[in-house]
Parts: sequence; C-alpha cells; structure tokens
Amino acid sequence: MPFGYHGSYLRIDVSTGSSEYVPLSDAVLRQFLGGSGLGVKLLLDEGAAVMDPLAPEAPLVFAFSPLVGSPLTTSAKFAVVSKSPLTGRINDSLASSGFAIAGKRCGCDAIVIVGRAAELSVLVIDETGVRIEPATEYRGATCQATEAGLKARLGANYRVASIGPAGENLVRYATISHDGRHAGRGGSGAVLGAKNIKAIALRGTQRAEWANPGELTTISKSLSKRSFGPATAKYRELGTATNLLTFNRFGALPTRNFQSGTFDEAANLSPEQLSTTRSKTRESCVNCTIGCEHIYSLGSSDKGRGVRVEYESLFALGSLCGVSDSEAVLRASKRCDELGLDTISTGGTIAFAMECVERGWIDEPWLTFGSGDALLRAIDLIGSRHGIGDLLAEGSRRVAHAVGHDSIAFAPQVKGLEIPGYEPRALQTMALGFAVGARGADHNRSGAYEVDFSDKVDRRHLTLDAVRHAIDTEDKAALMDSMILCKFLRGVFEDFHIEAAEMLRSVTGWDVTADELRETAKRIVSAKRQFNLLAGWTPAEDTLPDRFLNTPLPNDPEASLSRELLDSLVSEYHRQRGW
Amino acid sequence: MHVEFLGVPRQRAGISQLEVQANTLGQLLGTLASQIPPLSEFIAVDRLHSSFIANLNGDQFISDPATPLVKEDRVLILSADAGG
Repeated sequence: MPFGYHGSYLRIDVSTGSSEYVPLSDAVLRQFLGGSGLGVKLLLDEGAAVMDPLAPEAPLVFAFSPLVGSPLTTSAKFAVVSKSPLTGRINDSLASSGFAIAGKRCGCDAIVIVGRAAELSVLVIDETGVRIEPATEYRGATCQATEAGLKARLGANYRVASIGPAGENLVRYATISHDGRHAGRGGSGAVLGAKNIKAIALRGTQRAEWANPGELTTISKSLSKRSFGPATAKYRELGTATNLLTFNRFGALPTRNFQSGTFDEAANLSPEQLSTTRSKTRESCVNCTIGCEHIYSLGSSDKGRGVRVEYESLFALGSLCGVSDSEAVLRASKRCDELGLDTISTGGTIAFAMECVERGWIDEPWLTFGSGDALLRAIDLIGSRHGIGDLLAEGSRRVAHAVGHDSIAFAPQVKGLEIPGYEPRALQTMALGFAVGARGADHNRSGAYEVDFSDKVDRRHLTLDAVRHAIDTEDKAALMDSMILCKFLRGVFEDFHIEAAEMLRSVTGWDVTADELRETAKRIVSAKRQFNLLAGWTPAEDTLPDRFLNTPLPNDPEASLSRELLDSLVSEYHRQRGW
Repeated sequence: MHVEFLGVPRQRAGISQLEVQANTLGQLLGTLASQIPPLSEFIAVDRLHSSFIANLNGDQFISDPATPLVKEDRVLILSADAGG
C-alpha cells in the first residue's frame, strides 16, 4: 500500500447494515488517485452506469484522496460520485470541509453506499464500526438543523453530512451538505434520500502516513505562502461574486433565462454594493488559507449567521430570474442551502418556468421575471414538491418535455444539467466546454472560461485552435478533482503538473512525474466518458440548446454562435480526444 | 484613453475609471503603477501580474506591453481568473 492511503474502501449496504473493507490495489490508486477519479472507477466496477440512480442497488461514493489530512492548503475535500438522477449521466460533486478528514480517518479511501434503509436513518461510522440509527425525528429538517441535532445526539466530534427536505423528496438537484458547504450539482442528495439516509456521521482515529513528511511540510509552507498573494486576491477580497459586474461589462451575465447577457440592475447584487449596506464576515474552509467565503447579513428578521454569497447563486437566483432585490436573492440563496437545493439548477429551472409563464405555456401567473416573492415561493414549492414545485423539482429538461411547444429549445441545460453563469455566445470556448461536459453544462469540470478571458482566443469568433485549450482546462480540472485541491489555487502554480507531481511524491512515495499526471488526467476524463457510453450517451448530446445556436445576443450582435461552428468544435474535440 | 477598473483592481484603485495618456499598454501600466500605488502590487514594470489582464474596447484581451493604444481606446483592467 502506498503512503497517503489506507488501501481500501468501505462498502456499506444500508438495507442490511452489513459492511466490509474492500482492498484497493496500488495500481488502481495510482491510475485514478482519489476524489472524482477513484469515484468513477468504483462506479464502473459496481456497474452503476446501467442502474436507475434512485434504485436501492445504485451506489453512491464518497471518495477522499491521498492529500486529505495533509498540511497542503485546500486539501480537505471530498467527492460525491454517482449516476445523476438529473442527467442519467456521471455526476461528481466536490465539497470542502472537515467531513473529508473525518472520513479518511475512518480508515478508508472511499465509502460506497448501496441499498435502502427501512426508515429514515443516519449512517454512523466511528471507531466501534458501522451502524444505522433511526433519524425519523429529522424528517423535513434543514441541513443545518440535522447537523446540529445529530452532533448534539452523537457528540460534537462527529462530522455530519446531511440532506435537507429536498433530498428526502427526491428533488433531482438536491445537495448533500456539511458545515455550510455543499456537494451541489447533479442531485447526489436525491440519491442519498432514495436510500432513506438523512445523514452520515463520521468519527475516526486512523491516520495515513506520509512518505516524506519533511518535504511535504516544505511544499505545504511554500504553497500556503503563495496562496496569500495576488493570484488569490480576488477570492479573498471580494469573493467569486465579483464576477457579476465583470461579466455584465462583457455582456456575459446570463439574464432572464439567457435572453440577454446584461442585467441593468446588476450593481444591486454586486459585492461592491452589498458591502455598503450589509455587514460582512469572511471565513475559510477547513485547512484553507485563501478564505473565499464572504458571508453577508440579511434583514433584521434573520436570526441566523447570514448567508454565504457566491457568484453562481447571485446569477442564478438574481439576473437569470430578473430579480434585482438583493434581500430576496440572498434569502433565496439561504433557503436553497436550508432545503438542500443546488442554486444553479434551482435558478435555472425557475427562470425557464418564468419564461414559459410569459409565453402562456405554464398557468402560474404569479411566477414572473423580476419578482423576489415568486422566487422565494417557487423555491419552497420545489423543496416540498408541492403544486408546480413537483414539476420544477424535475429540472428544466423534464419540465420542457412536460410543457411541450418546443420549449426544449430554450431550456437552459446540457444533458439535463442547468447551465452555470457564463453566457455561451459571449464566451464560446466555455460553450464548447459546456457542450462536451461529461456531467453536463459545467464550470467546475471545464475551466474553458479562462481561455475566453485571455489573449489565446477571440471569445466571440472562435476557431478550432481553441479546442486544445479547452481540453487542457478539462484535464487540469480532472486532476485537481482527483488529487484533490481547490481550483482557486490554480493561479499560484507556475507549472501545475510539475508541482502536483512533487506533492504526490512527498505524500505517496511514488516516482510520479508531470507527464504521468497528464496521462492520469486523460484516463479519468475517459473513464467518465466510458461511464456515459454505458449509460446510453450519444454524440447528439454534446451540444447546446437551440436558443444559443440561432439567436445572437440582443445586446451584442457579435456574440453569435452557429450550429455549424459548435458542431465543428465538438467534432475537433472528439478527434483530439481520440474518441 | 479611458481606463476602467473591474473587481479587485477597482477595489485597490478606489475608483472605477480614469483618463490616462499613453501610446502603448506598457506605458499605460507604468503610469497606473505610479499614479495609483495600490495597483503596483499587480504591475511589474510594464506588465500585469499573470492573475490580471487587460482588455481593449471590450473585444480583445491584450498582454504585450508594445500593444499600441490610441486616444479613443477604452482599456479594462480586471482579474484574469474569471471562475466562480
């Protein structure tokens, strides 16, 4: 067994309560590392691609990594990997928190959960073993209340990841949450909910050894020092929300269900404006020196600690729904956190429904662009699956199929996953990244927007040369999600692959090189594709909704993306991938 | 030409825009570093730190210090790291 690992995963059947530690070979660990890579490998071994993701037998993987528990900044991360109930394709969502450290201290490199508990339960893993306890008293409880309640019941030193009401109600974009962080995209919360598992509580004492602790300490200190520099200033000083005004300036801020790339009232939602009228605190994830969490106060009626503000939440619940009332948008974000809802898919689905209402195709006249009250009402209906919320809980693609009228042409999704806050016509390398993404439209598995915001391409007049850049960002993301390190560090590396190899050598003792890691990244991307192929993927899925391919942005006629261009980019992508 | 600051550069500059005279991007950045000291952390002589980037007229992103500028240009200074 290499250093940095335990050399096994813990497989638990919550139908019976049985569990076993299953060995992981050195070869598998070296080929897939951990996190997303290891999770996909385990899913393939389990045959998950052909299963109904909400069926009892469908596996849900919590995958840790060799770096978890090390002093390397931002390494306290875990991946939740399953077949997505939203897309029917691979889904890997990552979160940063002490849950990762606690999970690895349970003496395993991953936890695989199958089965379905007889009643709503909490899965407890600690030094005494694995057990399933009733959790029926937490039915309908928010993620935060569940976590607090279970820590009070079990002990403050347990780390608890939970689902909210949305996960219990099998909302297809429900999250799994821990300590205010969320494995957000693709509906892993619904997968856990389908297993009747409200929460997982972990406490462990086992530590993996490092191959070269002295060298690891030196590398960690250097990385931490650099993480305080200009490369992360954006995250420290304003947070991701600062994208809002930048994207608006470039006509790339999705507005009113992608009908525009600018939002006249964007300034209302900007961190620059929010910080003039609200108190703000800044926090960090466990073992992180960046501190990107900017938590803003809500109105006087709020008794909580405020709300963590992220660009994706601001765009999805703000400009995408045409809502400029910052109090409504921040409350909507907080409500999503409480219910356990992915803010991007929630906002995308509601914005789509608002446009359908506008066209007279959904008979819910209250659900209008710009209404903060409607936004908040819709979120609660989704979380409880009441009224129109039962349909909206299915995500925009299924809503479009129910509504008809060729509304799929403007349902804001790829492979069923709602599109993040990057207008594809204004950021065309990102458009390619969205189209080919294994889990659907996704800014975390493709960093192609970085290419658009550079002098490598003309973001509105793309050529095939952009494809190799898009592939590079996708490969890099796959590696970072498998090692695992936070992508907000990416700017501090002069050559990420060389430094990544140094980190892995000091942790594992492997003679790993930068070139090997480049191959590892491609292997992981290919494994995701293999999963999707087994799940029924066809080339026709690698595209964008018609709206983006036949309508230039009204505020920027140069931001026009034809089907012919996108098809040629996708074909070139497949060719360069060797698929 | 007209200079617009976005995000962290705006935060550090304390203003959202100003007028500057320069014939090239390098000259412009040198002027900004001397006129607005808080920005000098992000400017090495005539280049932006790799985490920041300049854009010309909302169209083309530019990094070569020799890039010519004319009086009517609008130069945007922003974080290169656009992700969220």
